[in-house]
Amino acid sequence: MANEQEMVTIFVNGEEVEVPKGTLVVEATKAVDLEIPVFCYHPQLEPVGMCRMCLVETGNSLNRDGTAMVDEAGNPTVQWGPKLVPACTTPVNPGMHIRTNNDRVEDAWRGTLEFLLTSHPLDCPVCDKGGECPLQDLTFAYGPDMSRFYKRNKYHFEKPIPLGELIWLDRERCIYCSRCVRFCEDVAGDPVLKFAGRNRGQEIVTDSVPPFDSYFSGNTTDICPVGALTTEDFRFKARVWELTNVPSLDPFDAVGSNIMLGTRADGIKRVMPRQNDWVNGIWISDKARFGHHFVGSSDRLTTPLIKENGEFRDATWQEALELVAARLGETVEAHGAEAIGALIGDRIANEDAFLAVKLLRDAIGTPNIDSRLHWPTGTGVEEAVAKVGLSSGSNLADLGAGTVILAIGTDLEEEQPSLYLTVRDAVQKGAQLILTQSRSVKEMHDAQTPLRIVPGAEAHFAALLLRVLFNDEKPDFGKLGGGDELYDGIMTLHPRETLNQTGLSPEAVDDVVAALGNASNLVVLLGREAVVNAGANAPALVDALVALLAASGKAGQLNSGLLPLLPHNNSQGVADMGALPSDGGATSDAMLSGEAGLRAMWIIASDPAAERAASRATLEALDFLVVQELFMTETAQLADVVLPAAAFAERDGTWTSLMRRVQRYEKALEPKGAALPDWQIVRRLAAALGADWPGCYTAQDVAAEIAKSVKAYKGMTYDALRGDPVAWTKNAFGHHIYSGTSFLNAWYGQQWATEAEGRRPKYDLATPALQEIERGDGFRVIFQNKQYDNGTLIARTELLDGRRSSGFVKMSPEDAAGLGIVWGDPVHVRVDGRDSTLPVIIDEALVRGAIVLPRQCSDVNATPALGTTAQFATVERAVEAMPA
Amino acid sequence: MLDAMIKGFGTTLKTMFRKPVTISYPEVKRPVFERFRGRHELKRHDNGLERCIGCSLCSAACPADAIYVVPAENTNEARYSPGERYAETYEINMLRCIFCGYCEEACPVDAIVLEHNYELASYSREAMIYTKDMLIVPPPPGAEGTPQQSYAPPPQFMENPSTHMNRAEGPPPGGRITTYVAPEEKVSAYVRRSLLDADRDGVIDDEEYRS
Ligand code: SF4
Ligand code: SF4
Ligand code: SF4
Ligand code: FES
Repeated sequence: MANEQEMVTIFVNGEEVEVPKGTLVVEATKAVDLEIPVFCYHPQLEPVGMCRMCLVETGNSLNRDGTAMVDEAGNPTVQWGPKLVPACTTPVNPGMHIRTNNDRVEDAWRGTLEFLLTSHPLDCPVCDKGGECPLQDLTFAYGPDMSRFYKRNKYHFEKPIPLGELIWLDRERCIYCSRCVRFCEDVAGDPVLKFAGRNRGQEIVTDSVPPFDSYFSGNTTDICPVGALTTEDFRFKARVWELTNVPSLDPFDAVGSNIMLGTRADGIKRVMPRQNDWVNGIWISDKARFGHHFVGSSDRLTTPLIKENGEFRDATWQEALELVAARLGETVEAHGAEAIGALIGDRIANEDAFLAVKLLRDAIGTPNIDSRLHWPTGTGVEEAVAKVGLSSGSNLADLGAGTVILAIGTDLEEEQPSLYLTVRDAVQKGAQLILTQSRSVKEMHDAQTPLRIVPGAEAHFAALLLRVLFNDEKPDFGKLGGGDELYDGIMTLHPRETLNQTGLSPEAVDDVVAALGNASNLVVLLGREAVVNAGANAPALVDALVALLAASGKAGQLNSGLLPLLPHNNSQGVADMGALPSDGGATSDAMLSGEAGLRAMWIIASDPAAERAASRATLEALDFLVVQELFMTETAQLADVVLPAAAFAERDGTWTSLMRRVQRYEKALEPKGAALPDWQIVRRLAAALGADWPGCYTAQDVAAEIAKSVKAYKGMTYDALRGDPVAWTKNAFGHHIYSGTSFLNAWYGQQWATEAEGRRPKYDLATPALQEIERGDGFRVIFQNKQYDNGTLIARTELLDGRRSSGFVKMSPEDAAGLGIVWGDPVHVRVDGRDSTLPVIIDEALVRGAIVLPRQCSDVNATPALGTTAQFATVERAVEAMPA
Repeated sequence: MLDAMIKGFGTTLKTMFRKPVTISYPEVKRPVFERFRGRHELKRHDNGLERCIGCSLCSAACPADAIYVVPAENTNEARYSPGERYAETYEINMLRCIFCGYCEEACPVDAIVLEHNYELASYSREAMIYTKDMLIVPPPPGAEGTPQQSYAPPPQFMENPSTHMNRAEGPPPGGRITTYVAPEEKVSAYVRRSLLDADRDGVIDDEEYRS
């Protein structure tokens, strides 16, 4: 894009340079490595010109008509402006002269700093920002050595006050740059910070309940140019220069946000974003920032455990692994290898999953492997991603006008918070967001086309789009297989009937099809809820979306493709490593319901006993259960042998994000106790089982193996995943860690290419086989994820306890009125044979006949098997209605 | 050349007849200069509070990387130093220390001072890591040690009345008040000075300010 732009010539301190037209002066001068000091300006925020730090002298060398300006003698001349102008709000003109190296400008900078410091407490020695503080740095560079103001005239506030449990505000230090306010309003879409008061008494306040109610609040502490906003997490933990910064990745959502772990004395002191404009830019969610406490949690497993007479006892690795090998061997001998099943959690690294699958398939010989516990198995989404996934090289940050984002059943803010910021940014830049949801989610406010769809009708909607798109004319599918069948299949659909099932208006569907037709690129976000709600129709939904991308000609194009919002940090990677049932192997549902008839199980980094109460009986009935975990989870308690694994910060490895970006993370700490990285445990277990894998001594070796044997990962060795350092943002004094954010990134990884990107793509299209939408008695249940739930890892961050969701049930206003219920009333909910009493929240956007229940939150543990059957609930009022 | 040799040997000869200076250490200890840099001490204010605010600047300045500081936050129930922050752990590895005094120079609150003790020998390496207990001086006579309780609520003049727009009166829920005010008779010159700084009531009075 940049090269299409018109360039203008400007002169910075006499040096001639070309920059794109319309560039702000503050950015333009970076072309000659001149950094103008700023406080309120931030490249990611709208400029406001509030702090006056960036004043520069500008002049014209061209007349209005574009001819060179001359003096009386006919020599070229520059007409300097009468006043200094703020560089952060002034765009460049052709022939503009900018001057910063004279007394006038230096005086202005010195003066602004002197004013800013009149009421600054100058408590740098106790300030957490000290050492990476723009105010400190700029004062050193440009400030006066003495102040002419009396210290006793400083304006004092009470020392820090909490803006919620996570963020502290020291009002004395605030310089009123409004970066925090603008971030919350513009970037995060949570307008919860405001200015209050006037003059020197001005201060930042939060007006939400709970205070500073945002999933992105930590980012304000990064961009605050002084120590006014600091986090509770890093409060007085260390000085910033004492930290060892280790590149790592967000261990929660599947976006793969790049982070830096700041460690000291064998502990994580803080987590900071690491800029990667292809993934998360410079922002991270609070979950990524504050959720690291599970690593240092005191209840981590530190030694292998063997259960004897119902009690666990400490064991050595050798003892434990020999026992596991012996018991697995016995099971194979007595019942065959098919009696062994494995559940491989989708949090573990590619290296771990690769070796585990290798052990199970090659050494033990069982096909019963699955990694899908939070996303239905057998939807075909893995194959769909391999065909038409978001093309490699795409950068969602580039999305803008012309892009259509089709979000089906997404809840970005709760499930993939970093991606929410990217999508919101794209919408602000002109992308069109089409959202189908059955309840209210945050992106519904951003979407230009929000569609309230009947839960379960997602596949019908996608098929209907195809039907209208085809419009009796078969598109050219090129070399793709199955095009004819697809066309014929879709044309048999009855548009009106299908439309009725979705509950949408015909105009809405026409609008969507028109938008798709005009789109220059198309990103399809497939939310977890859509797949779960679609139930038996989930494969049809996936097929229809693949067909939609192929039929609209967007498959394989840059910045287009399918993006399933997978549940965990490495859901994509473990599937790539083959941790899915194949050759008739049992799915996680079959394994956990007992259908698969397993006698022994190996469970890595999953807690089915807690998440699916019904699976407990199956696990108890097993002859042998070995669990590889960080914590003594409910599943681990049922185990015969528990193997302690190292947390992500205690090892190196690679994860694959939902955009198929394979990224490395580095070891920051030593493992706790005797814990070992998962791949090492697998390797030792393999040795105990008599399998010899030469040459796998480090995670790097295993990655080299992967690069050899997994097709998509060809060439992705550790060396290849580390590129030349990229600095997306130029910063004052060449700082690469500035305001906490690390701007230099060499660990951005690689994306693997989809089939559609090939020169002559040849994948097959499948005809969506639509089935009846399931109906049942009572309310259709939609299970919602909350960001701060009681998951194994995030539950260990006590800092977030105050924000953790408790149980609730959301009802539509009509249904609630029908039952005589108002907001907050307790109701009895009966779902999947279990009762709970929960308060009601009225959701204006929820479709009638459905209720929303949170997953993994206190008071409600109703998380049934996914992707099998729809759940229906009965709801009864728990108290008498208030007399009107 | 001969001249110089005679002069040199002459000095030697003179010294041979001088009474030897033998100090029978350890019974007799050699006095040191006022500015001698010996073992460090962590100082206290007159009211017994620790001077050190746990800022780690000494450790940053130390060329031998001998100092390890872990900061923590003062509360009204357990107060160690004036202000918000204090050193929970403070250790100097005397085996590493080169007694350069940079730490003393870096300290913004004159907390760490190299004093006159030079008897630092020990039988183990571990014993050469001086912890905070070993480094901190006892409280001055009559003053309480640390931690202390702060009893005074934050004084009104620290608050700006115009800022109560969106907040309830008093400390916010769950808020920590870290403003420290000691009773008049107990306050040290240091604390009194910072209180004075905070008093914005009077008009600017040059005389008073300078005195
Ligand atoms: S709190 Fe920080 S970011 Fe917000 S206005 Fe004050 S100085 Fe700026
Ligand atoms: S005297 Fe010098 S070497 Fe010793 S602790 Fe202080 S700064 Fe370090
Ligand atoms: S001794 Fe001084 S420099 Fe060192 S941590 Fe304490 S206050 Fe800071
Ligand atoms: S940076 Fe330009 S006015 Fe603040």
